[in-house]
Amino acid sequence: MVAERLTAAGADVVRTGSRGMLWLEPLVEVETPAGRVGYGPVAPEDVDGLVAAGMLAAPERPTRRAETSDSPEGGRVVHPGPASPAIRHGESGVYLGLVEDLPWMRRQQRVTFARVGVVDPLSADDYVTHGGLTGLRAALRTSPTAVVEAVVESGLRGRGGAGFPTGIKWRTVLGAEADVKFVCCNADEGDSGTFADRMLIEGDPFTLIEGMTIAAHAVGATEGYVYLRSEYPDAVETLTAAIGVARERGWLGERILDSDLTFDLHVRVGAGAYICGEETSMLESLEGKRGQVRAKPPIPALEGLFGRPTVVNNVLSLASVPAILADGAASYAALGVGRSRGTSVFQLGGNVARGGIVETAFGITLGELVEDLGGGTASGRPARAVQVGGPLGAYLPVEKFDLSMDYEAFTEAGAMLGHGGIVVFDDTVDMAAMARFAFSFCAEESCGKCTPCRVGAVRGVETIDRIRTGQDREKNLVLLEDLCELMTDGSLCAMGGLTPMPVRSAVQHFGEDFTR
Amino acid sequence: MSIDVSDLAALRVERVRAIAGRLRELRGPLLPILHAVQHELGHVDPADVPVIADVLNIAVAEVHGVVTFYRDFRREPGGRATVRICRAEACQAVGAEALAAHATRRLGVGFGETTSDRAISLDEVFCLGNCALGPAVQVDGTLHGRVSPARLDALLGEVATA
Amino acid sequence: MSLLKEPDYGTPAREGEATVEVTIDGVAVTVPPGTSVMRAAKQAGLDIPKLCATDSLEAFGSCRLCVVEIDGARGTPASCTTPVAPGMVVRTQTEKLGKLRRGVMELYISDHPLDCLTCSANGDCELQDMAGVTGLREVRYGSGVDAGANHMDLLKDTSNPYFDFDASKCIACSRCVRACDEVQGTIALTISGRGFDSKVAAGAGVPFMESDCVSCGACVQACPTATLQEKSVVELGMPTRSVITTCAYCGVGCSFKAELRGDELVRMVPYKDGGANEGHSCVKGRFAFGYASHPDRVMKPMLRESIADEWREVSWEEAIGFTARRLREIQAEHGAGSIGAITSSRTTNEEVYAVQKLVRAVFGNNNVDTCARVCHSPTGYGLKQTFGTSAGTQDFKSVEKADVILLIGANPTDAHPVFASRMKRRLRQGAKLVVIDPRRIDLVRTPHIEAAHHLALQPGTNVAVLNALAHVIVTEGLVDRAFTEERCEEVAGWETFIARPEHSPEAVAEITGVAAEDMRAAARLYAGAGNGAIYYGLGVTEHSQGSTTVMAMANLAMATGNIGRDGVGVNPLRGQNNVQGSCDMGSFPHELPGYRHVGDDDVRDIYEQLWGTPILSEPGLRIPNMFDSAIDGSFRALFVQGEDIAQSDPNTQHVHAALAALDLVVVQDLFVNETAKSRTSCCRARRSWRRTARSPTPSAGSTGSAR
Repeated sequence: MVAERLTAAGADVVRTGSRGMLWLEPLVEVETPAGRVGYGPVAPEDVDGLVAAGMLAAPERPTRRAETSDSPEGGRVVHPGPASPAIRHGESGVYLGLVEDLPWMRRQQRVTFARVGVVDPLSADDYVTHGGLTGLRAALRTSPTAVVEAVVESGLRGRGGAGFPTGIKWRTVLGAEADVKFVCCNADEGDSGTFADRMLIEGDPFTLIEGMTIAAHAVGATEGYVYLRSEYPDAVETLTAAIGVARERGWLGERILDSDLTFDLHVRVGAGAYICGEETSMLESLEGKRGQVRAKPPIPALEGLFGRPTVVNNVLSLASVPAILADGAASYAALGVGRSRGTSVFQLGGNVARGGIVETAFGITLGELVEDLGGGTASGRPARAVQVGGPLGAYLPVEKFDLSMDYEAFTEAGAMLGHGGIVVFDDTVDMAAMARFAFSFCAEESCGKCTPCRVGAVRGVETIDRIRTGQDREKNLVLLEDLCELMTDGSLCAMGGLTPMPVRSAVQHFGEDFTR
Repeated sequence: MSIDVSDLAALRVERVRAIAGRLRELRGPLLPILHAVQHELGHVDPADVPVIADVLNIAVAEVHGVVTFYRDFRREPGGRATVRICRAEACQAVGAEALAAHATRRLGVGFGETTSDRAISLDEVFCLGNCALGPAVQVDGTLHGRVSPARLDALLGEVATA
Repeated sequence: MSLLKEPDYGTPAREGEATVEVTIDGVAVTVPPGTSVMRAAKQAGLDIPKLCATDSLEAFGSCRLCVVEIDGARGTPASCTTPVAPGMVVRTQTEKLGKLRRGVMELYISDHPLDCLTCSANGDCELQDMAGVTGLREVRYGSGVDAGANHMDLLKDTSNPYFDFDASKCIACSRCVRACDEVQGTIALTISGRGFDSKVAAGAGVPFMESDCVSCGACVQACPTATLQEKSVVELGMPTRSVITTCAYCGVGCSFKAELRGDELVRMVPYKDGGANEGHSCVKGRFAFGYASHPDRVMKPMLRESIADEWREVSWEEAIGFTARRLREIQAEHGAGSIGAITSSRTTNEEVYAVQKLVRAVFGNNNVDTCARVCHSPTGYGLKQTFGTSAGTQDFKSVEKADVILLIGANPTDAHPVFASRMKRRLRQGAKLVVIDPRRIDLVRTPHIEAAHHLALQPGTNVAVLNALAHVIVTEGLVDRAFTEERCEEVAGWETFIARPEHSPEAVAEITGVAAEDMRAAARLYAGAGNGAIYYGLGVTEHSQGSTTVMAMANLAMATGNIGRDGVGVNPLRGQNNVQGSCDMGSFPHELPGYRHVGDDDVRDIYEQLWGTPILSEPGLRIPNMFDSAIDGSFRALFVQGEDIAQSDPNTQHVHAALAALDLVVVQDLFVNETAKSRTSCCRARRSWRRTARSPTPSAGSTGSAR
């Protein structure tokens, strides 16, 4: 509706993805010679006033373009008509100044998300204008082995949660002999508190396509699949359309960019099963089967989709690759700390004042993210707990806000980064209820194959219920810990294996909630 | 004029067969077929299972196992509109449980159920990827953020009269 | 005698040389690459607790009881899904592992009825065993309905006539589902739902009998608990002893453990050591054992003077005395050649040998014949002419190596179900199938299997089709030259003959009813296979050109070099399990044991020395000759062992007339069969579970080569 009013006012409106400043949406950005000037959140009824105040004709004329971002899924680029009256800065309550100068943006290092919120997601020309295809062209000029080694050198690790070095995985697939190899993108972003995959696919789908094409070249794959969850219908639509555009442009199909590379890409839609975010379960689902986890070995890199060597990577891992190839492994590896190289895309959600996407080098602290960028809770009450890494991640108290956001620091703290989701809770949260929810979510989403997860999750809910109602509390707390140990060490996959992480962290840091 | 129920059943078999036949050459065609059947015919009926199995030359049991594994596949017709309320952690942090309780009270059905006038099917969902703007609700595929009980009432009102 | 418990290695054996040495609990063991840690441990004499693993199924990794610690490996991997690696050091018993295993069992038992003492599987339940092995003493979640959510109110499915499915006892290990898939290949079962709601379901969630289930019982055998249990065990209780025996129903010849309680047969369990079935069975072998204790079964010798008389139970002395006296009287009156015997291919080598010896050494003639000569004599003749030996070329296991299978005139899923399962497994692994049969048999299209070509020929045109295939192979240069030059004779003449235009697919398309391009494609597929195997049945041999067809198949195999190794060959699927053996044992009117002609003086000399009596050099009567001679009055008495000629031989009227004309018919059978009813003077009981004989020759046994 904002867009309609702007169009009516003579602007040329282009819809972009989200800048990731979700609390400011709908966000309108007007392109000026000095850069993009932001307004947000803009309600439809605000538009006439803003236009009258000179929104579409910044004093530094001539204005060329503006952008908006419409809650909750994205933004618009606005091309204003001629002869707009001058705007008086500061008069509008939603005037933000130059978007790039906002503290939120200045704190970030946008590599993977460089184009998200800037480009028209389905404009191939926009994509190329903003540096798209540079990575793929660079990759095609060099050998598969060289591409693999560049990714190894960059230090890129799996952004889906496991943190396995992406290049090493690719090296295994490259070395495998087979009649056909696959590249599969895990876009089954089921973790609560994570939405970066969705933002990227809806805001800059060509980057993912380019990343997968580079992967195909690197490992010798000819077919790719993006397993996208059905809960994201807009992402499905955008990506499907983008693949169509890419085929038309010769970015997919035979002789890609006039090279010898043949690679095509297909979208497959999940069907409401969190477990299909586990890579082997996702492969089963892609094969048209029940999403039951496979035992490893064999690893998917050797026996993956339909038993063939398969690259399985998360959206963010694959979308980071074009930048690595374009700017060089060294520049990516220069970012980050320790063995956590490059940038990570953190997502602030839950009870947070300023929620959204923060892409920055590893090493920022949890507190900086939640308080400096996130602005504390939305409710205004004190923050009490933060869950990092989705429903299988640990609940951390504010005392842990100095924790460095990197793989190793989190592992050491009995937590995990996961897919970078950060969910904030204020002091009204009942952590025993959240621990119970962890089990009940596991019970709801368990594939049912292994016993610790299938039966354990249900018993976990019941045991916490007994603790909360004071039945044999001490004995049941011991039993709860034994169950957590069993699920951690005995489960077939990370679903059962990590469910104890939120439970144990809740007991450890918020024990008082279990005894009142 | 009367409509013979067996004709309707035969018609459905033909449509399911056509859908399955159209998609059978895909790699791993079963999920795309089930999605298409549900999209075009509203649900995946138990009677569709042997038809799909036959087209794909797989066992009836396999199709049944897949249909029952995934939450998306309805085995009976749903309401005219589907409202899904996110109950995952991020939305819980901003009141999703109260919203969920409000929805069940207001509609008089539990999650996974359909109102008696077949207007609305209520479902729960664990994360819609709108975690910074919760509580999130999806109405027939369209995402809504910061849904208060009052806003939910408005949304329900829109679909009920649609 | 006690119940035979076969060792369960947990995961299937891997082929190849034992080259990987690992150390498990301090014991060094060397196994082939790909072997699981679990299996290696068992080989070293160490039992790792397990529930979802069994060595007839690929590892699944779901129960998590078999976790172990491996030096240098993270966590506690499952030993069933972890393959050995050189130098691996494994610990299977530590305090941590013990706690994990008890924890798993605690979860299992929290959702399981506590009725062990009254449970039909008591004493034969792996869940019970594992509770003991892991030392589970307490279920802190509560057990049974006290625990909370549970499956104990699920209803029992009793729809199958042979076994019950009690879902309340199910531990969701998927062994039944996997057995139906991997072992039987029917895929009638699945897991429905997910998580705690995961349940075994038949078909689309219907009672077992309404699903695709063929009641082979593989699921029952795989089930570690009482969830899938034979009704007979529920009714009669657990068996206490086992007798190894061979199934007599079809040509596969499956080995079984007959499990008895006292003298009562409780169940038949396929025997893993049986080469034909390797632990699998079909519905008949496993469940159709009602004959063993059927009230109609003849347990004592019976005798009647004429068909108008009532049967009279008599002593063995009287029965044997009467029979011997009457046979001698008849011979005295009508000549030595007036009596004879028919043997059965459902009996053992020893039994067949004894009857043909009785005829030759005691009756003093060669009037002994067998149905095997009738049903598969074209096999014997055709293969002997071409390969030099009348045996099928492969064992059943060979099919696991076949890449292209030519299936001709046979319907294995109906007639040889256990072999069909083995063939289906190979087809699902990607082997290609060509069906040459007028019928659209199941294997033409069944879940996960679709024949590459179905040549639905007109009956009677087998030779034309096979020669057309050969024509394509010869004229398109697909002959395996190296093989034919080194190993075959008279190749040039055959090639010239077969290359003649009248043998081309185009020339025979009309008479065969098969499109020429289908024949060409099938020929190319077979000729181009790494391993091409031919399997055939009575649709080949029970034709007037049966022998010629067998020779045509042998020619195809030789021309393409598909003979002499695993995965290839020309393989008859016989009608009865010991067709090969009964032929080997010499129950032919013209041949002594070992296919040696009675007219050969040197051969007769051997047996005359051995048996201490002269042997007639003239071949005896074949079965049809016996019937003809009975009607013309020269043949007066017949001993029938394990056959029901009144029912199964062609031209029933003629057979009945012959039986009516005989002075004496002696039937050795379990029942008063149709032959006995129609004209019998003496009927004897045969076979008991106390003295079950063994050592049949598998029907499709032994390997051979072209020369």
